[in-house]
Amino acid sequence: MAESSRTEQIITRFYLKALHAILGSRIPHLHGEPSSSSAATHARKRDRWFNLALGDLPPALDRPHHSVMDPMIIDVILSARSAPATAAEVVVERWTAQCESPPISWNHTSDSSSSFLSRRTYKKSVLLLRSLYSFLRLLPAYRVFRMLSSSNQSYNYDLSYRISSFAEPFSRVEERELKLHSFTPVETQFGQLVVSVQYRPTLSDFNIEVSSLLPSMIITDYVGSPAAEPMRVFPSSPYEGGARPMSFSLRGHRTSANPSAHRPHSWTSAPLAHHPMSSSPIPASDATFSPPDVYGNRIPSQRPATHRKGSFSFDEFKLSPPFSPSPTPSPPAHGSSYLQSRLRSETAPVSIPQPLTGKNQVHRSPNLSDPTRSFLPPPSPRSMRMDLSSQNSPLESRSFRKSEGLRIGDIYSNLQLFTAQKSLKDGRDDSGRFSSVLSSGGSPRLGFSRSSSRLSIQDDLDDGDFSYPFAVDDVDTSDSQTRSLDRKEAPESVQASSHKSQDAAVGILVHMLKTAPPLRQDQSYSSRSSRSELNGEIDTSSLFMSRKTSDALEELQSYKEIKDILLSRSGTQLLESVQHRKE
Amino acid sequence: MNAEVCELKELEVAHFEIREVLRCILHTIIFHRALGLIRPKGIDCEHFEITYVQCGDAEVEKKIEEKIDEFINKTEKHPNRKSQICLSFYEIKNKQSTWFSNNKVERLYWEHWYINLHVINPKSHGKSHHNKATTDLGGGALEESTSRHAALESSIREVLFQIIRFVNEKKDHLPSIPIQEGISFPYEITILSSSDSPFGWHTDVLKRMLQTGHPTMIS
Repeated sequence: MAESSRTEQIITRFYLKALHAILGSRIPHLHGEPSSSSAATHARKRDRWFNLALGDLPPALDRPHHSVMDPMIIDVILSARSAPATAAEVVVERWTAQCESPPISWNHTSDSSSSFLSRRTYKKSVLLLRSLYSFLRLLPAYRVFRMLSSSNQSYNYDLSYRISSFAEPFSRVEERELKLHSFTPVETQFGQLVVSVQYRPTLSDFNIEVSSLLPSMIITDYVGSPAAEPMRVFPSSPYEGGARPMSFSLRGHRTSANPSAHRPHSWTSAPLAHHPMSSSPIPASDATFSPPDVYGNRIPSQRPATHRKGSFSFDEFKLSPPFSPSPTPSPPAHGSSYLQSRLRSETAPVSIPQPLTGKNQVHRSPNLSDPTRSFLPPPSPRSMRMDLSSQNSPLESRSFRKSEGLRIGDIYSNLQLFTAQKSLKDGRDDSGRFSSVLSSGGSPRLGFSRSSSRLSIQDDLDDGDFSYPFAVDDVDTSDSQTRSLDRKEAPESVQASSHKSQDAAVGILVHMLKTAPPLRQDQSYSSRSSRSELNGEIDTSSLFMSRKTSDALEELQSYKEIKDILLSRSGTQLLESVQHRKE
Repeated sequence: MNAEVCELKELEVAHFEIREVLRCILHTIIFHRALGLIRPKGIDCEHFEITYVQCGDAEVEKKIEEKIDEFINKTEKHPNRKSQICLSFYEIKNKQSTWFSNNKVERLYWEHWYINLHVINPKSHGKSHHNKATTDLGGGALEESTSRHAALESSIREVLFQIIRFVNEKKDHLPSIPIQEGISFPYEITILSSSDSPFGWHTDVLKRMLQTGHPTMIS
């Protein structure tokens, strides 16, 4: 019946608008870049719903994804950056919107009265949204939001969110600390539309302040905690300030959907807003809040402007300008503030536009592809081509990411990361997947830029689907690197076990590295075999003549530290795996 | 049609706080009643840690500022009084002029909001002044004003919650939303004189009741 579909549309739009209002006043740096003209007109039309123009919504969110009868639960989470553990997360607000109670059988009424009812529903929803909007600004979390979005400074806390259709009820302890406010329900054809919020009446317990410039340190216990709660978001601390990955703990969720859903969020959400070089906020494509449909399927075609669904069509990615064209001197020269903002922006370094583009494209591919699609083996020749260009930027990025270890954005850039992972890995997984790597090694122990490891762990733990083309590509190429790094040997067998395509990739990489001017700070490295040249740690950094010696030295130091960590943690495993391989 | 009335909690405000408090409350009410297409604007108060929402209409802002100026002028002349500002929404009904009203256009009020302010002079109302010795005056006054300020801030918040609650609970009496953008309902702001004359505001209310054209009132 037309009226019921109209009511359904009203309710769906209501959910979306409420979501927009809530996130807009709780999640710093939310908005994406201004979308293309066609999308913008569309967005403007959408904006008129409920006569409340809230501006651009990240396109990924700008889809009515919610089924009317399912509740929409939005958790606003305050988490400490310093503590990567999930324990540091606190749900400061839980917003619930749902249609409840059995609907009055309005289907039997005449069309005119149904239309009257839907109009009334609309009018009351307008009022409800107005009060919701005001109310959002009266709660204590709003002040926290203002603080965190106020400047480029990074704070010791992050605000993030999680949307789900079902959420674990609060524990008794938590429940006691929360206050409940319920808005008057709006009658609809499908039941009563109720919006309520459980919130902490005071946030003075949290000592939110500007964090000092991040020291160069390795987070050795970086935990992705996918094992703990695969459906939950990643630990917030290493993440950029602002939007966090959304975990969709929906009924009947598909695990394969989640990793890819997670990953994009974890690295690309709004953060670029604070990028010092960014001319515009994160591109729509980058704001990867991919709201799943009810069943956890990521809607692939969320970014119509720039992405094609389900494919690695790198060519079609138009990455957001923020980081590609801006020339940047060597990041370390900028000092830690740059690093910080980079951290928050979670993007690759901007100094190399072209590779960045490549990197980002590759980086984005997991987002774009079908959640269910297995990326292994990678579409190698193509991906490797892109990968080559992306090698530069990753390497560069690594050099200044080295000690923060907080970037998910380093996934693709971190040869060493994969190297380390590979070293932990048994010989089982030749396709480059990490299925056993981190499982055996536990949560990623890598010192820096472990976002990729975390993500891959996530994948592995979920169901082994690894939609990280980078990782796949890099894994094998860096496989040998790891071994040589850690073992000071060149286990040829590692390479032999790789796929042919990856061999080709490796070969290209080796060539590239060989032809790069060396930057040798440590003689021991230079004495290694050609295999060792693949060691991304030192030599790859030599690709960038713009790097200063001091930078390289710092890098070396951090690599050494990482190596030590890896060795200490997984020395035994490595030995075993290498021996196994050689057999 | 009976007009819905909302009496907001009384606020004790110092003279310099009047403007912000009134802005905050008036804009909030209007935001909830501006049901045409608007682009909301969040405004931070200077003296308080409160953010309220404006509907973004320049006309409205201007009118509110004018009324606030008027109110401040009035209260300056008569300090330390309780005053009311009434924000009313009405519908325009065209009617033929009758004996009680020469206007062809009749206003049918459907909602009244009464903002109760007690403009105080902090110095004269500070209790500590009376109780403490002269030497303590400085420190005591500061404490007093800080606590008064904090109490006022929390009261303002309560008033805003009150508005939101009222807006949520009473929805049925609204006339249909016109298509126009921005302010959808005509409104007026009236300053009711102080309570020095206890019947003062009553007469204003009576006048308004007469204007609404309730048939029962006339006879």
